[in-house]
Amino acid sequence: MPGSRGARTRLDGAGLQEALRPLLSAIRKIAGMPDYPAYLEHLRRCHPERAVPSEREFYEEFVRSRYADGPTRCC
Amino acid sequence: MWAAVALAGAAGWGFVALHRHETISAAWLVLAAVGTYLVAFRFYSRFLADRVFDLNDRRATPAERLANGRDYVPTSRWVLFGHHFAAIAGAGPLVGPVLAAQFGYLPGTIWIVFGVVLGGAVQDFIILFASMRRDGKSLGQMAKEETGPVTGMLAMVAVLAIMVILLAVLALVVVNALRDSPWGVFTILCTIPIAILMGYWMKVWRPGRTLEASAIGVVLLMLALVGGRYVAASPVLAPLFTHSALTIAYGMIAYGFVASVLPVWMLLCPRDYLSTFMKIGTILLLAAGIAVVLPPLRMPAVTQFVDGTGPVFAGKLFPFAFITIACGAISGFHALVASGTTPKMLTRESDARYIGYGGMLMESFVAVMAMCAAAVLDPGVYFAINTPLATLGGSVEAAAETIRGWGFQVTPEQMTGLAAAVGESTLLSRTGGAPSLAVGMAQIFSGAFGQGMMALWYHFAIMFEALFILTTVDTGTRVGRFMLQELAGHVWKPLGRTSWYPSIIAASALVVAGWGYFLVQGVQDPLGGINSLWPLFGISNQLLAAVALCVGTTILIKSGKTGYAWITLLPLAWVLLVTLTAGWQKVFADDPRLGFLAHAALTAQQVAEGVVDPARGARLIFNDRLDAVVAIAFMLVTLLVVLASAREWVLVLTRRKPARVQESPFVETAYAG
Repeated sequence: MPGSRGARTRLDGAGLQEALRPLLSAIRKIAGMPDYPAYLEHLRRCHPERAVPSEREFYEEFVRSRYADGPTRCC
Repeated sequence: MWAAVALAGAAGWGFVALHRHETISAAWLVLAAVGTYLVAFRFYSRFLADRVFDLNDRRATPAERLANGRDYVPTSRWVLFGHHFAAIAGAGPLVGPVLAAQFGYLPGTIWIVFGVVLGGAVQDFIILFASMRRDGKSLGQMAKEETGPVTGMLAMVAVLAIMVILLAVLALVVVNALRDSPWGVFTILCTIPIAILMGYWMKVWRPGRTLEASAIGVVLLMLALVGGRYVAASPVLAPLFTHSALTIAYGMIAYGFVASVLPVWMLLCPRDYLSTFMKIGTILLLAAGIAVVLPPLRMPAVTQFVDGTGPVFAGKLFPFAFITIACGAISGFHALVASGTTPKMLTRESDARYIGYGGMLMESFVAVMAMCAAAVLDPGVYFAINTPLATLGGSVEAAAETIRGWGFQVTPEQMTGLAAAVGESTLLSRTGGAPSLAVGMAQIFSGAFGQGMMALWYHFAIMFEALFILTTVDTGTRVGRFMLQELAGHVWKPLGRTSWYPSIIAASALVVAGWGYFLVQGVQDPLGGINSLWPLFGISNQLLAAVALCVGTTILIKSGKTGYAWITLLPLAWVLLVTLTAGWQKVFADDPRLGFLAHAALTAQQVAEGVVDPARGARLIFNDRLDAVVAIAFMLVTLLVVLASAREWVLVLTRRKPARVQESPFVETAYAG
């Protein structure tokens, strides 16, 4: 039956990714990695008019700016 | 409840104090440390947050006001704690305590625990707080705005100088761990293609899939670690990966240059991810290992070497214990990280207390664990690994004899047996702290997670230390290059363009040549380079702490909190006392093991007597004088910063200058209370 509880909690690929998203996002933030889904969410909420960069564009820009000024890690 | 915590901490210290001449369990040290941290966090950090900084959760943080989804991102307190901890913890808190263990485990531990509570954690907290109130500005920018352009400029020069010494000494630690070790060299060389593979994965093949690439990287790294054993055992392959200290040093210099010139995504960024995961994983593993094994501490609480005759590094307990352990107690470098990415991610102002003060307590705990890992070793073994070869004598028999002379027992069979157990040809005089830490960690790990894997655990620990030291070498070279380019840009504009190739190559070469020179000097140093370079590093790191504490004091005085200025003035006074005393002794002490100038004089005498080859003597004398100049320069910069700040304080206190800080204006938060 469509929309039944069983169908909704079944962990297919997309569902699993959705369930793990907060965990993956936390790991990314701890390691100082870019978080593309969070960025999309931010754009959607605050700047819906702006063009959405591809994941690759976002990644390149993030990595470039992160290592461009000052030390990111201590000894 | 807090009374119980305080009692537990006191019981830990009490037990340590009453059983000074017996072997006690590491558990007591851990109990004393954790009890002290909890009480300090609950009471002192709350006092700082509520009374001194007036943290206000109604005030919107930069992460909220400037949210851009990239670096300004409101982040949950626990995730940000992890982020900040991963950024501040590195090789420093692991190596320093191991070296300072020559005084016994007690002096270092007391300094680590009380230094952090009253010094290091306060510094990190106030800089994080100040940066948070200024849209996440860097230490250099804050120094410039609050105490004038001179201090700002000096802070920048200080950072560059520290970077050069830091990279040299950390590289030396790796060189000493990897020389004549085919297993170690193979594993570390493998990290380069692994990182490049990850780089292409994240940028070209599966753009942005950083976690996927990191998982693959970690698996490949483990395979390289296991593979190293077969390389070391193979008569064909082993010689290819067996190299002298000097060859490895030149290899690292070449690597540092290439890594600084290549685009970040290709090598530096993937290495950064890989080493971060390894670092967090290994630290958790070490904590678990100590908790499971609760190993006995074989090192005496206090050794006779507090009188300054210690073989690991020269100098008395005061000031050198406090210079040798910088990271873990107070680390000026943290001021750069606490004014970097973290302040841009705080959701609420009150989170700064957990992350600034609490994060540093966590690093201090890492330092206590490193001290435990060093004290787990038999003192005889510890000194056999950490004493320079010239002092020790060339053979295991001579070494055992020398160490017996100091009153510690070690047999030649014990040393050869241990070297064989960890898969090395020799462990004698592998100075720098990393190898003895690795032996200690291997003992703890194999005790906790199954015997018979000593060699694998040893090389795991070496790989993990070398991995993130090399990551510091490439990120540090790059940061140094950017700073140099910025400074050079003031002289001739095009040099300041960070993407102009001639400028990139020239600046990278200069930075690499800078630390490379000190590295090679350290490798050839007859006293073992750690003896001269590690104190210089400690002094420079504490100098940066002095700069940070000056900025903190200025901010307190300007914001009308002069009555509370002692919270930064107290650690500042201590850091100055320690740094200036140590600096003075390193330059002017009569003991040639300690004083650079006395050593130069001794070398000149040896040349005159014909004991030392004149060309080599001339080089040694030049190096001694260079080290002396560097130490004096560090002391001068420190004094200048303190004087410039003190002038500012007097002007504000005598109302000749308005008491106004450069904070961003108050904006009410939109978050629900």
